[in-house]
Amino acid sequence: MAGRTVLKHTRVYVDGYDMSAYSKEVGELNWIFATEEQAALSDGIKNVLPGHAAISPGAINGFLDNTATVGLHAVLSGGTGNRTVMIPIGDRAAPAEGDPVFAGQFEQLDYKAAVGGVYVNASLTLGNWSGQAASLGYDKPWGTLLHELSAETAANTANSGLSSDKETSSTKGGFLVYQITAAAGSGDYLATISVDDSADNSSWLALANATTGELNCSTVKHGVVALAKTATVRRYLRWQISLNTATSVTFALAFIRPE
Amino acid sequence: MTANTGRTVSKFVQFNVSDSGDTLRSIPVDSINDVGLTYEEMDVTALQDAIKNVLPGHPSCVINITGPVDTSVVAAAGTLSGSHTVLSGIVGGYTPLSLDVKIGIRQAWDGEPQFGITASATSGFLCTEYKVNPQTSKYSAKFVVMGGTAPAWGVAAET
Repeated sequence: MAGRTVLKHTRVYVDGYDMSAYSKEVGELNWIFATEEQAALSDGIKNVLPGHAAISPGAINGFLDNTATVGLHAVLSGGTGNRTVMIPIGDRAAPAEGDPVFAGQFEQLDYKAAVGGVYVNASLTLGNWSGQAASLGYDKPWGTLLHELSAETAANTANSGLSSDKETSSTKGGFLVYQITAAAGSGDYLATISVDDSADNSSWLALANATTGELNCSTVKHGVVALAKTATVRRYLRWQISLNTATSVTFALAFIRPE
Repeated sequence: MTANTGRTVSKFVQFNVSDSGDTLRSIPVDSINDVGLTYEEMDVTALQDAIKNVLPGHPSCVINITGPVDTSVVAAAGTLSGSHTVLSGIVGGYTPLSLDVKIGIRQAWDGEPQFGITASATSGFLCTEYKVNPQTSKYSAKFVVMGGTAPAWGVAAET
């Protein structure tokens, strides 16, 4: 779907955990380029050029919830760390393939409990892009949700129809962001998440280097995989999974594509 | 009782701080703001990076509380002591204080989340403000960290 939406269809995934059931607000989702107004003697007006981008998901406000392993307090009360964050925004429904997603790796700067109202609330601030992030080469946080958070038990053979906005192939690379929240199978629940691309939404190939590599999904997994900045990415994209000892993997996958 | 998990409400929160005799006391509060650590954001961006990027620096922690002025005598932690009795004895002092904010999960605290520090000779909190508003019969107080040991979240009571 496209069009307007409301907050209740936003989800928050952090470090392989779905924080949506513990969160009440998120944002502002910042994407701001540094500017410095200057003018040459002969210019008719002061003017600017954009410098470094500053990108941050801002604050997450929620309930202080100490549910073992997965609650907001259990996951994030450490107060600091390089966090893999995905914030998909569903269009008048829960996020689905093709919906916009704000994603990246950001430094957590605090974790605070506020007492005084009826509920005990907790909030945390996610600062700018992490110096420990997988890539410092991209300056864009908004991409496309290639796979909504749900379980898959087989490889993807469907045509996604998820096209670049400019409806053409690009040679500007991009990066994928993934969150694996659960899995089933035997042994270490081994599986690989990846991205396919296509020129025509019919004939698909694995997008070179756009893969998590084989992961032990018996525990949550998350991360960013960046392509070379000149990598060719064809017009259409779709999610892909290769199951080894895993029989089911619950994951969300986004791809951020410079235009 | 055993520890609960999940959401909770403020009525199960307990605020404890050392009195002037270094004994932990529970005092009445009606608000505690910003319990936790805040890390400074250090810019480590190189000119060649596409994006501004950061790493966390030192954390800091300031705790502000408000509550009713109460001149009751002190009691063992877990039973409320007089807020005025405790706070008026520690404001402006240089002896590190233990501090323990216990957040009971839908019950009186029992091994559930808590934030604070057990003071040592060189680390703990100091009370730097204690103000009473006669119109409302309420107080406000401020606690800052002394020394190099950070308070932290845990599930074991401070002493």
